[in-house]
Amino acid sequence: MIRIIHLREKCIGCNACVELAPDRWKMSKKDGKSVLVDGEGHNGIYMTLVGDDELKKNQIAAKMCPTNIIKVEKVHKKS
Amino acid sequence: MKPTIEIMSPAGSWEALSSALHAGADSIYFGVEQLNMRAKSSNNFTVDNLPKVAELCAQYNAKSYITLNTIMYDHDLQLMRNIVDAAKANGITAVIASDHAVLMYAKKKNMEVHISTQTNITNIETIEFFSVFADVVVLSRELSLSQVSDITREIKRRNIFGPSGKLIQVEVFAHGALCMAVSGKCYLSLHSHFSSANRGACIQNCRRDYIVTDKETGYELEIDNEFIISAKDLCTISFLDKIIAAGVEVLKIEGRGRSADYVHTTTKCYKEAVVSIADGTYTQEKIQRWTEELSTVYNRGFWDGYYLGRMMGEWSNSDESHATKRKVYLGKGLNYFDKPKIGYFKIEAQSINVGDEIIITGPTTGYVHAVVSELRVNDILVQQASKGDCVTIPIEEVIRPSDSIYKLVESRTGNSK
Repeated sequence: MIRIIHLREKCIGCNACVELAPDRWKMSKKDGKSVLVDGEGHNGIYMTLVGDDELKKNQIAAKMCPTNIIKVEKVHKKS
Repeated sequence: MKPTIEIMSPAGSWEALSSALHAGADSIYFGVEQLNMRAKSSNNFTVDNLPKVAELCAQYNAKSYITLNTIMYDHDLQLMRNIVDAAKANGITAVIASDHAVLMYAKKKNMEVHISTQTNITNIETIEFFSVFADVVVLSRELSLSQVSDITREIKRRNIFGPSGKLIQVEVFAHGALCMAVSGKCYLSLHSHFSSANRGACIQNCRRDYIVTDKETGYELEIDNEFIISAKDLCTISFLDKIIAAGVEVLKIEGRGRSADYVHTTTKCYKEAVVSIADGTYTQEKIQRWTEELSTVYNRGFWDGYYLGRMMGEWSNSDESHATKRKVYLGKGLNYFDKPKIGYFKIEAQSINVGDEIIITGPTTGYVHAVVSELRVNDILVQQASKGDCVTIPIEEVIRPSDSIYKLVESRTGNSK
C-alpha cells in the first residue's frame, strides 16, 4: 500500500498532477485547485491509501508538483 | 503644480501594502488566491481580505488593482469569475488581466480592466483592439521611448477611448526586476523544473550563472563573468522626465515578492521624482540622492532597460542583491507611548546601539525609519542593549506589537553599479 498526502491550500492549480496521474487527481472547477480522488481529511490536508500499482505515477506527480505539496509514502503492513 | 502621474506600487503582503500607502502610492496592485503571477513567491491575499484592502486604499485615496493575469485553464474559470465578482462587490478599482476570458467576463460585469504586461503590447492597433475592454494598457518593457511616444500620440490622434469613455491611459514599468524573456513569456522554469512562470510559479533559474559547453570538445565558456540570462534591474529615475514627456501616465514599480523597505523606498523616491518634475525642481543632485537611496534596497544592479534605444540587455554579475544596506533582525515591538512618542521593544537577537539606523515594519505600521537617538533599559540610559533586553527608543511614528525591528548595516556585497 502507499499513502498519498495532499496539502491542498498551497495548490496553484497548474494541472501537473492530473496530467501525470490522471486516475488519482482531478481539477476542481469550483476553486481551480487539484483534488486527491478519494482523499479524506481536514484543515486542508487530504490523505488516501492506494495500491502499489499507483506508486510510480504519483511519485512523479509529487516530484513535479511546483509547490511540493504532494507526499507519497509506502505503508508497511503490520504482520 | 500637482503631478498627474500615477505611481503604482506592489503589495505582496500587508506590510508592503501599508508601506506603499504611507509612502504616497497613488495605486497598489496585489494578487488574490492562485491566479496571479506571484502565486508561489508572495504571500497572496484571499478573497476574504478584499474589504480590508479596499478600505485601506480608500483611506489613502489610492486605487486598488487585482492581478488576475496568469494563463487560464478551464478549471480556473469559476474561480476567476468569483474573484472578479468579489472585486466588483468590494469596490476594488480594476483587474489586471491578459487572458481573453477574463477580459470578456470583466466587461460583462462592468469591471474596469487594465491590460497586463503578459499581453506584450507593442503597437497602436493592438491598443485599439484592447480598448473595447480596457482603460489602461501597460506597454511591452522592450519598447524604446520613441516607440512609446509614437503610441501615446497616436492614441490622442485616433481618439482611442476605453469603456469608461476616457482616452486610453498608457502605463510602463518604471523600476524593478526585468525578465530575460519578452514580456515575461518564459518557458525556462517550466522546462527545467516543471514550475510554470506563466502560472505564477517561476523558480527564477535565469538568475543563476551558467557555463556554455562545446559538446564536441567539452570546452567550457564563461561569458564575461556575467549571469548571462539574469537581467539587471530597471531604474528609470534618472530619465523619468523623458518617460513622462513620452505621454506615460502610470508608472509601475515591480516587486510583489519584495519586502516593506523596498516598497517604501521605491515608492517614496519615484513619488518625489514625479512631484519634482511637475514643479520644475528635478535636478541632478536629487537624481543622485534618489539613486543612492534606491541602491540601499534589493536590486541586482541597475540599468535603464530598453527605453533609451539599447538593443541588448545588461546582465547581472552575481546572484545576490547589490543593495548597499542590509537589514538585521533585532526583535519585536511591544508598545507605544503616544505622548512622549516612545517605542518599547524586546530585543531578541544581536545588539542595538545609540546611533544605529533602524527600520520598523509591520502589517499596519508599514515602514518606519529612524536613528536611535536615545536608548533606555529599565529606564536607565544606555549606549547599547543586547538580546533579552526590553528597550525604549524615541520614535515619531506609532509602532505596534505586530511590528519587527531591524538595524540597517552596510552590506558586504553591496554596490550601486
